[in-house]
Amino acid sequence: MRSPSGFSAQTLSVLAALCEEPSQWQHGYALAMQTGLKSGTLYPILVRLADRGLLEACWQDEPVPGRPRRHLYRLTADGAASAAEALAAAARAAAARAAAPASSARRPGLRVRGGRGVAAPGAS
Amino acid sequence: MSRLSRAAARWAVRLVPAGRRDWAEGLLAEADQVPPGLARLAWRAGGVRFIAREARLLRVAAQVLVFAAAAAWIVHVAWPGPASNPSTAINRLNVVTLLPVLAVLPLLARWLFGPAAPGRLARVLRYGAYAAVLVLLLAKASVEPMADNPAATPYLNSDASTPVKDGMISTWLSQSVFLLIVAVYVAAILAFTARRSRVTPGTLAVGTGTGLVLGAVLYAIFPIGLTNHTTNPLLPGYAAGLLVALAWILLFGGPILAGVVAARRYRAPERPEQASAEQASTEQASNARIRQAAAAGFLATAVGALTVTALGTATVALMPRAGWLLHGLYPGQHLTAAAAYIRELTASVRIGNYGLTLLFFPVIGLLMGLWAGAAATQYGPDLGGGPPRPPGYTPAPDPAGQPVIR
Repeated sequence: MRSPSGFSAQTLSVLAALCEEPSQWQHGYALAMQTGLKSGTLYPILVRLADRGLLEACWQDEPVPGRPRRHLYRLTADGAASAAEALAAAARAAAARAAAPASSARRPGLRVRGGRGVAAPGAS
Repeated sequence: MSRLSRAAARWAVRLVPAGRRDWAEGLLAEADQVPPGLARLAWRAGGVRFIAREARLLRVAAQVLVFAAAAAWIVHVAWPGPASNPSTAINRLNVVTLLPVLAVLPLLARWLFGPAAPGRLARVLRYGAYAAVLVLLLAKASVEPMADNPAATPYLNSDASTPVKDGMISTWLSQSVFLLIVAVYVAAILAFTARRSRVTPGTLAVGTGTGLVLGAVLYAIFPIGLTNHTTNPLLPGYAAGLLVALAWILLFGGPILAGVVAARRYRAPERPEQASAEQASTEQASNARIRQAAAAGFLATAVGALTVTALGTATVALMPRAGWLLHGLYPGQHLTAAAAYIRELTASVRIGNYGLTLLFFPVIGLLMGLWAGAAATQYGPDLGGGPPRPPGYTPAPDPAGQPVIR
């Protein structure tokens, strides 16, 4: 399921996690904990965001002794703007779905995932 | 165990393309922050998934499996038979030399010229070349014993006085040349379609397209071996004559046309480091255009020759096995078993002449392409590329007195 902004729900959750402190560099594990995504799902999303110029990455300058250097991520200026826009659009879409008549949520073929109804074709 | 898994991970990261390696290393380094146990194991498993995806391991595995299956099939067809039989020896030689070469060439090309160029065309051209060569090997392995049949001797050698020893020497020589030509074809196509190749996608497209047309026309004329076109079983005389005229035009005109189009379509690379290397001067730009034209000309005839050789040899190999093919090749004729057998034998002997197309066509294409590139550079539009200027075009001077290219 893609949001009106074109981002998947998983990508939106990563953007939301990165938006919490947009100026701070974040670690992959912290992002995985915040979003609940597995590493094999999280990192392809980060790569795609970086490919689109929405995310920047760098290596940790001063690693903790005895541990490998960590790869750090944060949103670029464009990324922060796109993320804010996408999250706002997703919130508006979710609000519209919540405001839809309850009867339509019980129409045959309608899927409800995680408490959020997914609009049937033609239902708005 | 942990040290072993780390070493394996470090090795696996090397499979990932250079631009993505940091991400894979970052993911694996992060595993040290994950609590030990199942969570860390799951994190590393995600890393393996990420590496497999980025290194396109599934695609590589599929390619290896398909090649191995095709190689096994060829060995199954080519290997059996008494060792004293010349056709068995030739087939075994093909198997033990060409199959390892085909397996190693992509690795060598990757090392020398980088991985396959991005884009579908480069991949399709590589797959097509490998498919054609594997079909050719398989078909040749089926046809060789047929041509080596004692009943075919009158067709094999018109001069009965030729000593057998001399005949064998020429056979082995021609086989060695065949193996070398096929290896050169594959190497050239791998080099042209590599990431560090200077051949542009436009040149690949125009060369390959022209080559496929040439190959199709040649196959219509010579479906069962390169020989006198009047013996074409499929076409009536006038149609064969028209196609022969078209084939001659395509053989010389195709590479010229492809070369001119490739030279005219050529644009300087956008990357600054390449731009400085490629177009530091007008002369270098001209050379770059001539290179594109030569590559397009070579591809046009090489693809054509490979197409007709693979299709023709496969047709001959299928003749004794598929009745429908014989009916299709000789429409309206009711062939007795003896007549069909003689035709199969004759065709199996004739396929050796396809080797002439493999040997000479690319040389013709290369020369025609070079000539077309030089002509297009000399008489074509300015070296900035783009469509030709209208007749009578002259650059308008700017107020400072310098010519302005509009």
